[in-house]
Amino acid sequence: MTTTTLTRPDTAVRSRPSGAGTAGQRRKRILNWIAVHSVAVALALFFVLPFVFVFLTSVMSDEQAMSGDLWPGSWNWSNYSTVFHTPGFLDWWRNSLMYALLGTVFTVCSSVPVAYALAKFRFRGRRTAMILVISTMMLPPQVIIIPMYLVWAQQFHLSGSLWPLIIPMAFGDAYSIFLLRQFLLTIPQEYIESAKVDGCGELRTLLKIVVPMAKPGIAAVALFQFFYCWNDYFGPQIYAAQNPGAWTLSYGLESFKSAHAVNWNLTMAATLLVMAPVVIVFFFAQKAFVEGVTLTGVKG
Amino acid sequence: MALSLSTPAKSAGRATEPAPRNSPLRRKRNRERLRTLGFLSPWLVGFTVFFGYPLIATVYFSFMHYNQIKAPTFVGLRNWRYVLEQMPLFGPALWNTLWLVVVMVALRVVFGLGIGLLITKVKSGVGLFRTAFYIPYLAPPVAATVAFVFLLNPSTGPANEVLSWFGLHGPNWFNDPNWSKPSLVLLSLWGIGDLMVIFMASLLDVPKEQYEAAELDGAGAWTKFRYVTWPAITPIVLFAVVTGVVQTMQYYTQALVAGKLASGVSIGPGTVIQPGYPDHSTLTVPQLVYSLGFQNFNTGAACVLSLVLFAIAMAVTLLLMRKSVGLIPAED
Amino acid sequence: MALWRFRTRVPLALGAAALLLSGCANPSTGSNTDDPTKPVTLKFWHGWSAPGEVKAINENIARFEKLHPNIDVVSTGNVSDETINQALRAGGDDAPDVVTSFTTNNVGQYCSSGMWVDLDPFMKKSGIDKAKVFPSTLLDYTRYEGVQCATPLLADAFGMYYNKDAFEAAGITRPPRTMSEMKADAVKLTQKNKDGSLKRAGFMPNFQLYQNSPDRMFAQWGPEYFDDEGKAKLADEPKTVEFFTAMRELTDAQGGYAAMERLRARFGDEMSSQNGFLTGKLAMHLDGEWRGLMLDEAKADFDWAVAPLPVPDDQADTYGRGYLTGTVAGIAHSSRHQNAAWELVRYLTIDTEPVVHFANAIHNVPSTFEALESPGLDADPAFRAFIEIARNPHSQAVPPSDNGGQYITSFGDFAQSVEAGRTKDLHRALKELDEQIDADNLQSES
Repeated sequence: MTTTTLTRPDTAVRSRPSGAGTAGQRRKRILNWIAVHSVAVALALFFVLPFVFVFLTSVMSDEQAMSGDLWPGSWNWSNYSTVFHTPGFLDWWRNSLMYALLGTVFTVCSSVPVAYALAKFRFRGRRTAMILVISTMMLPPQVIIIPMYLVWAQQFHLSGSLWPLIIPMAFGDAYSIFLLRQFLLTIPQEYIESAKVDGCGELRTLLKIVVPMAKPGIAAVALFQFFYCWNDYFGPQIYAAQNPGAWTLSYGLESFKSAHAVNWNLTMAATLLVMAPVVIVFFFAQKAFVEGVTLTGVKG
Repeated sequence: MALSLSTPAKSAGRATEPAPRNSPLRRKRNRERLRTLGFLSPWLVGFTVFFGYPLIATVYFSFMHYNQIKAPTFVGLRNWRYVLEQMPLFGPALWNTLWLVVVMVALRVVFGLGIGLLITKVKSGVGLFRTAFYIPYLAPPVAATVAFVFLLNPSTGPANEVLSWFGLHGPNWFNDPNWSKPSLVLLSLWGIGDLMVIFMASLLDVPKEQYEAAELDGAGAWTKFRYVTWPAITPIVLFAVVTGVVQTMQYYTQALVAGKLASGVSIGPGTVIQPGYPDHSTLTVPQLVYSLGFQNFNTGAACVLSLVLFAIAMAVTLLLMRKSVGLIPAED
Repeated sequence: MALWRFRTRVPLALGAAALLLSGCANPSTGSNTDDPTKPVTLKFWHGWSAPGEVKAINENIARFEKLHPNIDVVSTGNVSDETINQALRAGGDDAPDVVTSFTTNNVGQYCSSGMWVDLDPFMKKSGIDKAKVFPSTLLDYTRYEGVQCATPLLADAFGMYYNKDAFEAAGITRPPRTMSEMKADAVKLTQKNKDGSLKRAGFMPNFQLYQNSPDRMFAQWGPEYFDDEGKAKLADEPKTVEFFTAMRELTDAQGGYAAMERLRARFGDEMSSQNGFLTGKLAMHLDGEWRGLMLDEAKADFDWAVAPLPVPDDQADTYGRGYLTGTVAGIAHSSRHQNAAWELVRYLTIDTEPVVHFANAIHNVPSTFEALESPGLDADPAFRAFIEIARNPHSQAVPPSDNGGQYITSFGDFAQSVEAGRTKDLHRALKELDEQIDADNLQSES
């Protein structure tokens, strides 16, 4: 680390006593506070206003939603009920939920052992395995989609459903494996050693000792996978598009406009209904969220 | 704080001389190997079946003509020549993807860092601001895109409406070929929450004493940043860049949804949806793969393009991985 | 350990690949030996989504079910061509039996690939002479290379809506019949704002506007896209250059491309109340027959009427023609109840009563001779105008090709490039376009 040393002036003047300072310094701090907070407020507007406008439009009447008006003339809460009763909307909900839940469970159950092996076992080929895992993470899904689709559609006749997306998750997910490995690395070896001394086999060590300690990491990975499935558009587009009964919220939302011509008010209402669950879950699982995000890059 | 995947060297290295046959050591090692295999088996199967096989099959199909109804026929290099030379959309798709990778990643990292810095300086209502900045990231990509297409609608959207209050005539955003990609970048900046959190965390991790020492030396804000903050957060910035590049190379959903919605084309008589509306400006390589494979059912050409995408992704990955040394475990 | 694992993994993967790929031939095939009088459930997928449209087709289906009590029809709406395409290629139990499509361009693909079954045998069995039932233009876009894999289910004709009040104010007595008349009228109808920008255009040729796909207007010239061998001949067809020249002159006479684009940016969504024609920003407008219904529903605040689009000066006797397209219906190759499916297709597309009922409900042009002459047809003058356009012997549809609408898309891209002034050498660019269309077609050949 480089240190810059300038000529040291008189430290008595430089050192800032805690608490009150001179009037000049106080004014400087106040100006600083104003500057920082004005920028913050301006940016906050950028982040928050879209939600506000979406909401305001969602309660407008049909004609008003297509004009340039910003404030609703009438508060049509019935729009939300119309959206709910749009044919298929509840199906989309059910499908998204099933996909996300099953996908998450499969992913966690299959990725934990793999991550554990990569973190704690030593074997030839571990380096290769890690490289392969990371390469798979970097892979755009479109690279392998064509043959995969052909197999699922023509060999297994599972196209028109979400199973082609869910089943592979029972075989580990590269991103989850990577994250879990990072986390498991931080578990001190002593716990594992002491379990072995007590006579536990590897599997029991994993289940009884490691997993409880790894709960935050597992929770984070589960959350990430849940929202990956919830937000997934490409997967359902490939496999579920041909069967409207299997559509998910993400895919259905994009086709929503066709079903309702250009009703922006209904589309905005639908958009909010799709965004809402994520935000609600976030509020309940804030800690795991933030922990998970920091897990992705920080601790080493 | 270095970013590394290396295991802390806790236990002693394993002996490497081969053990005599049928010795307890040999049996133990075999048991260990079996155990390792067992734990890794889900991933091993998954990797072979869901990655290895499709990759080989993609190469196979790239030399075939197959429309998914009649059996495939061998056509040699015809698909390759078609994609690389005769397909007019190939160039725009590559260019758009490249443009997005460079511009979107750079702006996201800078903006994310800026917001992270800002948040660390905010004194009152930090929690509120943090939540406000983070929540858009949670919005599902399709929902966020639909919202933005509406907001940025040139004639009826609030954005241009508000701009007109200030006497500004807003551009055509998603309907203008020159503004469509910047509109997508704007959308991605709205969802900066994830970068904000990791930058924030790493900024807060910088030891306060270093700042204080620098201040005592008379360092100003910029010098503090350059010599204290920056070296400490470089690994995170690098990580953000790497993951950003990886994600943007796969950029698909937002571009596709924005193009479809903005073009205003609803299902109707004789309408053909133009990929990458407007003017192919939002067409990315992944979208082109989908279009070739699932709209034109030109399996062979789609596979060729997939391989091109794969090659680019691998090249970029190798390049970046070399730069982030320490990403791979050093020992075996 | 890594090395041996790799060495065994690769051959394993290859072996698996070979095994799986060998089974990649045609998925489930259907059957046409079913008994149409036995109880059966048919799956019917269509693309209509507006409540009025869905109601109309459901009424037709209900009447069909009454006539055939053993057949139960499960219908799904708002289904795009993409979805149908994928479902039929994948086969399986969820695939539909009867399908409709808005994209007549795809008929070439459906017929040549065998995805939609050939209906000639079915028509013969039912004793139907298709030439006596359907107008020949409609038959043209429902078959490809001798295979009649679809029947028309209502058609769409394109004509010109014009603002009668604006015409009166500009002193124009009747709608233009030739391109020169159109240019003159357009200039008279153009209004500018104080700052020089366009307030109203007489006619906007811009190919990105609403329904202005270039093939629509181009149909007024009656061009030939392909030669006898199926190769694109746009460069050799003199009408192509004439068409682009005429459009350019039309645009320039009213203020130029840039000014038009600025005006177009102020138009709202095509189907909304901010539609450019509805809000008086266009005096003449190319659109399909459904626009009349929408103008009535939106209670347009001006008097309007419909006329055929003008024709080139040197083809003045073809006036009355227009671009034709329509919805098509067919039977999926994977259907196991093809005879029952044929009963449904026949009812919806050939029997006069359901055709007339549906045509009136959604204001599409009826697709059989009998229906076209039926007294039960809506007497609305605008609707009638389109029926006349459909009956005009010079009206044409775009020829089907193997790769669906791809050549139309290529042509559209090309046209946009021309009108934006990005094409320097038109003839050479057309030759390149022909080559590209041929290459695309080659890629799709089955």
